[in-house]
Amino acid sequence: MINKIKQTVLQQNVILLFLFLLIFFGITKGNLFLNSRNLQNIARQISFDIPLGMALTSVLIVGGIDLSIGSVMSMAAALTIRFQTHGTYLAVIVALLFGICIGVINGLLVTKGKVVPFIATLGSMTLVKGIMLTYTKQRSFAGIDEDFTFWGDGSLFKIIPTPFIIVFFVALILHIILKYTSFGRDIYAIGGNSEAAFNAGINVDKNKIIAYTISGFLAALSGVLLASRLNSSSTQIGLDSVNWAIASAIIGGARMSGGRGSIFGTLLGVASLGMLNNGMNLVGIQTYYQIGIRALILLTVVISDAISETRVQKTLQLQSYGNRI
Amino acid sequence: MENKRHSELAELSNTSFFRFTKNILINYSALIIFVFLFVFASILSPEFLTIRNLLNILWGISVLGIIAIGQTVLMITGNFDMSVAYIVGLSGITTVMLQIHGASLFLSVAGGLLAGIAVGALNGLIIIFTNANAFLITLGTSSLVYSINLILTHAKTWYATNESFLILGRGKFHGTIHYSVLIFFFMALIIEFILRNTILGRSLFSIGLNIKASKFSGIKVNNIKFGAYLFCGFCAALAGLVMTARTGSTVANAGVGLEFDSLIVSVLGGTSLSGGRGGTLRTIVGILILGLINNLLILLNVQYEAQQIAKGLIFLIVVCADGILDTIRR
Repeated sequence: MINKIKQTVLQQNVILLFLFLLIFFGITKGNLFLNSRNLQNIARQISFDIPLGMALTSVLIVGGIDLSIGSVMSMAAALTIRFQTHGTYLAVIVALLFGICIGVINGLLVTKGKVVPFIATLGSMTLVKGIMLTYTKQRSFAGIDEDFTFWGDGSLFKIIPTPFIIVFFVALILHIILKYTSFGRDIYAIGGNSEAAFNAGINVDKNKIIAYTISGFLAALSGVLLASRLNSSSTQIGLDSVNWAIASAIIGGARMSGGRGSIFGTLLGVASLGMLNNGMNLVGIQTYYQIGIRALILLTVVISDAISETRVQKTLQLQSYGNRI
Repeated sequence: MENKRHSELAELSNTSFFRFTKNILINYSALIIFVFLFVFASILSPEFLTIRNLLNILWGISVLGIIAIGQTVLMITGNFDMSVAYIVGLSGITTVMLQIHGASLFLSVAGGLLAGIAVGALNGLIIIFTNANAFLITLGTSSLVYSINLILTHAKTWYATNESFLILGRGKFHGTIHYSVLIFFFMALIIEFILRNTILGRSLFSIGLNIKASKFSGIKVNNIKFGAYLFCGFCAALAGLVMTARTGSTVANAGVGLEFDSLIVSVLGGTSLSGGRGGTLRTIVGILILGLINNLLILLNVQYEAQQIAKGLIFLIVVCADGILDTIRR
């Protein structure tokens, strides 16, 4: 048991990073960091990043990438607010459906259109951004339904932020889907080796499309929640969220080459970055330096992972030479 | 007998004609779209086909064009650089800051270019030595450079003090064509020549097609890859100088969005993201398409926001057609 825990902790650098940040800010800032009010704050802030991180995780597992999540998020926020005249919950459904549509389109482009995921989602990112700018005419809008803010700004029992509960349940469902269903096993197999998966009788195209659809849906969910929190929409939403979603998924153990990554890891990745932001604010580091520090963390994770990967590959090569001799 | 030979000949010419058209369709799809758009624009708008307007289009695209040249060379080797957007800011900031502190024109421009080359060197070194994913590394250095830009400028706008520096962006050669346009075309032609006619150019393509085979055939893969990153940083820095000279001022996020745009125009022109295919002449076509669309929509009084939609749609159509044609080719 202890051995198993030791192994997971060592394999998942993100657990170490998470614990390190928790202890570091806990010691240096003590009560200021570890009081319930501040923790609630962190939980609320990361609630809008968690769906994006999970969106990236689901496409990274199949060996793809989704650059369009930022645009989808801002368009979903705009739809949520501007459609409120037709009914608040209709607006939410429209926004989520929009995300699903873009996800399906991305999936179709990648599988049937044979476009590289990076290029395909780069195109849909540009397209959705254009649609968003045209739809909003580059203006911000205020919501008309005050009750709707409960979903983003409210708290359950005055302790737990509502958006956090929502994303927690979504994360739980997604975790179960990835871990315990055939779909989950299939997408890991596709990411690991799509040709082998195809030969094993897995419907590669269908599963890839589903993964992109999940990504679009989660991006839209994040936009809806953020619109509810701000009770307004703005064209500035989601501008650099792609970068941080990728960073948190990668820190959480996902890889660009596919076949790896988990919801649990991504949650910890998002939480680590959220804690880092909050802690740096408490310590009083300027925003300019904060951007640099986050970039350094991303670089460190990517580089250390790449180095260990090449080491593994070299050992494998040596072993195969040995076998031949 | 005669008849049979005749029919054979006909069949042969038929197939070769078919192959010829297919080749043109596959290899020059961007050029066809460009010609089509050009004719379309000339018919739709009387103001389009004036020298003034055409020169304006060229002036508008030259900054993006200079970045895209570096990006294209890098993409031919199968790499790419997401940090170009903030290198544009960094080089402008370095130059303006040096001028404010009293450096000469030459020194300030050299400083700006060196700053860009330094970021390119950082990207290249990390990617070559750790074998890490180019996208993630350049994404990281991109934020790092952005942070440096913010620290240097304190998120304020800074103005260039050297009047003669502004010629780079605003000056015209004999009062007709902007220097920046000339720089763009000149660089594109030289790089195209190098790509097609020198050993270095062939090595770049060979690295993009098969890096292992290139290594075994004696190409110094790492040196060339490193050089490509340096060149990409240099191009982005030069574009930053042109942009700064044009507006006379600079901000930390001056080039934001250009990293994606430079990828879009390179891919539009027909350079492959996975390496081994492309060229700077193709990139010129790609960028002209983008310039044409923007100009046409302005002349037709379509609102600015819709240009983004058109850009996205045309891009998606081209890459989809490319993907489908690619399967036909095999």
